[in-house]
Amino acid sequence: MTRGFCAHEFTGIMREMRTLPFLLPVLACMAMVTADAAPPTKAATAPVMNYKSSGSPSAPIKIEIYTDYECPMCRELDLNTLPPLIKDYVQTGKVQLLHRDFVLPQHKYSPIATKYANAAGEIGKYDLVATQIFQSQPQWSQNGNVDGEVAKVLSPADMQKVRDLVKASGPDLSPAVKADMDMGDKDGLRATPTIVIIAKGKREVISGGMPYNILKSYLDQKLK
Amino acid sequence: MKRWLLIAGRLIIAAIFLYSGYSKLREPWFQFEVSLESFKVLPEYALEPIARTMPWLEVLLGVALLSGILARWFALIASVLLAVFVGAAARAYSMGLNVDCGCFGSGGDPLGPKWFAEHGGMLVLALAVTVGAFVMSKRRLV
Repeated sequence: MTRGFCAHEFTGIMREMRTLPFLLPVLACMAMVTADAAPPTKAATAPVMNYKSSGSPSAPIKIEIYTDYECPMCRELDLNTLPPLIKDYVQTGKVQLLHRDFVLPQHKYSPIATKYANAAGEIGKYDLVATQIFQSQPQWSQNGNVDGEVAKVLSPADMQKVRDLVKASGPDLSPAVKADMDMGDKDGLRATPTIVIIAKGKREVISGGMPYNILKSYLDQKLK
Repeated sequence: MKRWLLIAGRLIIAAIFLYSGYSKLREPWFQFEVSLESFKVLPEYALEPIARTMPWLEVLLGVALLSGILARWFALIASVLLAVFVGAAARAYSMGLNVDCGCFGSGGDPLGPKWFAEHGGMLVLALAVTVGAFVMSKRRLV
């Protein structure tokens, strides 16, 4: 059986509605705050090493990807999401892609993996070695043998150059990696992977692993 | 006394939903879509509409609970929403999925005992408020 409001309930509702005027300013404040929630593009950005950038500098969308080599979700992103993204958006001039390192303190072997990837970048083998480091993450994250895994994809001569560069870099992270991490702190990074989508004057920070399909759908809306 | 406890409980649930909606609205809606996707429950076509509307619904629900209008019905909706959410999280946890629930924006606690204690507590409170509101409403009508 359905019924309407009885007089008793109606009086109660009207009494309760007297609280609404107190809520309106709260709602107005929330609306103002959320209206400009997405921060504008930052004028100054940390420089990216050439080997970490791909795609046209005049692309309408720039994507900065913060990863840690020992993070499993970063591995998923690198192996499953990036290849189709590069094929469909970077190679077609729609997106410029920038890699940034964000070494998480809880990952024991991530600093050495980062050194190998960047050393490989300096001899023009960044993509090959970064992919190999992610691919073999389950192995080297157990024993720290990044060297052995990288050696599988480089010639002996290139491997020696990489080793020399890693040795010369010393125990600390390089200034370029530190600059990436400072940039990540400015972006408010709390986890990896995180991507920053820069389009139409807005800088949007999105964290978490994301399948290519939903990223594609979002990028297509941005490109309209 | 019971009436004041009920009001306090209702206001706490209202604040939780207001903060939850507000936290999501502070971020691009795509962030919440990524969080929703990580549960592996919803079909792909449903992710975007839910990611775009859910934060606003949470804010509206919070405002409705604050106002006290039809409190028992809105408390019931809040309980159902929390139950669905905790259920989806329990499923994801049992499957070993790496989920960022996105409950209060990105970067929250990972699913685990602490998460379930917090959200289970919210669910119990919402259920208690719902039952209490229905009981009190019935007594007033008698």
